[in-house]
Amino acid sequence: MRRRTFLAAAAGGLVALIGAGVGVWSQVPVIPKRPNPDAETALGWIAHRDERFTLSLPRAEMGQNIATALKQIACTELGAEWNTVDVVLHATDMPRVKATVGSESVMLFAEPLAQACAALRDALAAGQVAGQVRVTPRPMAALRALRAGGLIGASPEITQGRGIVTGAPLYAADMRLPGMLFGRVLRAPASVEVPSGPLRWNLDAARAIPGFVAVIEDCGPPIGQAQGLGVVAARPGALDAIAEALGVHWSIAGPHPRSDIARVIDVDARLSTGTLPHAVLDGAPDDGPWDVDLRVDVPMAAHGPIEPRAALASWQDSALRVWAGAQDAFYVRDFLADAFGLSGEAVSVQSCRIGGAFGGKTICTVEAEAAALTLATGSPVKVQWTRAQEYALGFHRPPSSHRIRARVAQGRITDWDHAQMSSHILFTAAVVPSWMQRGTDIFAGDGGVARGMVAPYVLGRARAAYDMVRLPVHAGPWRGLGAGPNALAIESAIDEAARVAGVDPLAFRLAHVADPLLTAVLERVGEIAAWGRPLASVEGLRLGRGVGCGTYKVTSHAAAVADVSVDSRGRVRVTRLWCVHDCGLVINPDQVRAQCEGNLIWSLGMVLTDDLPTAAGHVTAQSFADAPIPRMTDVPAIIVDLIQSDRPPQGAGETAIVAGPGAIANAIRAATGQRLVRFPVRTEDLAT
Amino acid sequence: MSFNLNGQSHDIPPDWADEPLLFLLREHFALTGAKFGCGVGICGACTIIIDGLPARACITRAGDVDGLSVRTIEGLAERDALHPVQQAWLDFGVPQCGYCQAGQIMAAVALLVQVPDLSDDDIDVAMDGNLCRCGTYPRIRAAIMSAAERV
Ligand code: FES
Ligand code: FES
Repeated sequence: MRRRTFLAAAAGGLVALIGAGVGVWSQVPVIPKRPNPDAETALGWIAHRDERFTLSLPRAEMGQNIATALKQIACTELGAEWNTVDVVLHATDMPRVKATVGSESVMLFAEPLAQACAALRDALAAGQVAGQVRVTPRPMAALRALRAGGLIGASPEITQGRGIVTGAPLYAADMRLPGMLFGRVLRAPASVEVPSGPLRWNLDAARAIPGFVAVIEDCGPPIGQAQGLGVVAARPGALDAIAEALGVHWSIAGPHPRSDIARVIDVDARLSTGTLPHAVLDGAPDDGPWDVDLRVDVPMAAHGPIEPRAALASWQDSALRVWAGAQDAFYVRDFLADAFGLSGEAVSVQSCRIGGAFGGKTICTVEAEAAALTLATGSPVKVQWTRAQEYALGFHRPPSSHRIRARVAQGRITDWDHAQMSSHILFTAAVVPSWMQRGTDIFAGDGGVARGMVAPYVLGRARAAYDMVRLPVHAGPWRGLGAGPNALAIESAIDEAARVAGVDPLAFRLAHVADPLLTAVLERVGEIAAWGRPLASVEGLRLGRGVGCGTYKVTSHAAAVADVSVDSRGRVRVTRLWCVHDCGLVINPDQVRAQCEGNLIWSLGMVLTDDLPTAAGHVTAQSFADAPIPRMTDVPAIIVDLIQSDRPPQGAGETAIVAGPGAIANAIRAATGQRLVRFPVRTEDLAT
Repeated sequence: MSFNLNGQSHDIPPDWADEPLLFLLREHFALTGAKFGCGVGICGACTIIIDGLPARACITRAGDVDGLSVRTIEGLAERDALHPVQQAWLDFGVPQCGYCQAGQIMAAVALLVQVPDLSDDDIDVAMDGNLCRCGTYPRIRAAIMSAAERV
């Protein structure tokens, strides 16, 4: 172990001030490895012992209820009874699996799991009871689990559902160890992109707080460039009081040169300096006046999971053990090994159920804080971020600014131009230092910003390009990456183009869609929503209906219709949502529906609520009051229809977010005549 | 200081009296069903029932439940028999990530005791302070309606 001293925390409240080497952290980040799964690896996920099977879930369970879907696959292929298969969440002692991101869990993991289960089934049938099994991959058609029937296409009670409704300990913050202490790492109220650290603090005042255990200077790697000051207490409630008593003075090398986020993200200002470097469509639209010319601004937004991230760490027998709710336990393991100078074998990370992630729990933060405080005190330490830390120290959906234009002739779009300014998503500043981003900017662009920028329509001479700027607040993956904001801009412009053409917006889309699967979901949503039927009128309210659609990652499709009402004060209510969704073969229809419902409520949030306030280059939000998310009274009845398909399973966790926001914004346009161009909607924009 | 926790009398240790009730339950009594979501009473993840009324454990001082009766989600089921609200939650496949659900369920249990004959509006008003980022609200409504017929 390098630069580490251990001090046991005595009952009276020993002060551990461990200073050696503070601030010498590696400048080369640990980059996540993302191997695709294969059948051979999948054998490590399933085991048979004493008439029972154990499925070590190769995915993070964060509410997509993948444990249930993969158990359906395993049971079907094994020919096993539902209650003979136990599902356990994985630890890093099994072969590496890639991060749970990108709606890939059924798409990429169903077949390898089915192959492994088929091999195990045959081995058991041949009388083998111990030892390794070999997988000889068989044709898809020979797998029982990849066609509808029996458990495939059924919706059994969700795995861990009973634990959830009875309050069983499932999440990282629920874990407990004897002698456990509670920790927090304080950081400066400043941009995470400027160097900051603790200068001085009032130790005597902190010591006087009942439950105080230690102040720890050597409290793990910085977040961005924010060095922390660790505090440890015997009871979690003491942490607030200790933090306040310490009254830490911070050194802050600010301000950040791009503190005015709205200004640096302004796409028009950027376009005035030259063309955008990253093209996703490279047609050459004609010059001249445009029929549609919109500037659409989508702000920064937090993920807002109800679970602030948490970790429990322990150090025993030269091994670091961490319980975490992370989307990539293996990355957390690698990061911790690197940060604390340990071998990979000396670190193990146990996955816990995650209380909502949405792309925001893909890196290593709170785990390193818990580890550092554990290493410093010698006691197990649990850390759960405060809500304010979630906002200040997490990464967020980047703000994006769109200039989007279309020209229309004879009912068709002939020219299209979409320019976008955003911040890095896949090459998030939360992991990738700026020197490395300069390289990725040149050689790779950012597929996260680009996601969904290729509109799913035939658009004539079409150009789409983007650029990114590194911001004082970290941006990164957020449900759907760039696809939600891009689709919102695109679906707004398409709707305006339909108006220019004088064509019904649903018919206009159908006339421009290239993929027959997208045509099918559009037609179907028109049917179930009775598109075209006149809306009833309600005294004092403006009513409107809108449609939106899109394709996520090429192979998943969704279309949505929204009804809204807007009162004279400009308050919007979404009164009904319909969605038709095609993600290929559906393993668990009820949970695919749940994902659609969630995405539609996120869509509603994108239009009506999502905004993360910042000032002077750092996040100012402290609680849900400052960064509201949709509440029960915001949410209408939702009707979801799934296309029955025998295509191989595709992603379902993010698809409907390409359809919902456009449908809602277009319904508001239909109701009020106002085209929303800055989100979320402000009542003053719609008041009469 | 003592209180009734899920039907049994327990002491409140003096050094926990100034802690939020949420942490007393989670860390001293190992009842981790109620969750920390915001710590300031806004999200409802920590909802429990005190003397029949829904309460936010994160902004209730532990010492203040001296002499009162606290019910948590761990105290709902009778051995293997789930409370009708818990069963409805499973029947309607309500939980996504599940983190908010202990609070949602406790708020719903309290609501059903207070207003047995429910309308959709009653549900919306009573449940509006319980946030769910996964977006399970339509299913929560449906599950409460169905549970109302069973309790
Ligand atoms: S944790 Fe108590 S209301 Fe949010
Ligand atoms: S189920 Fe995830 S927050 Fe409600």
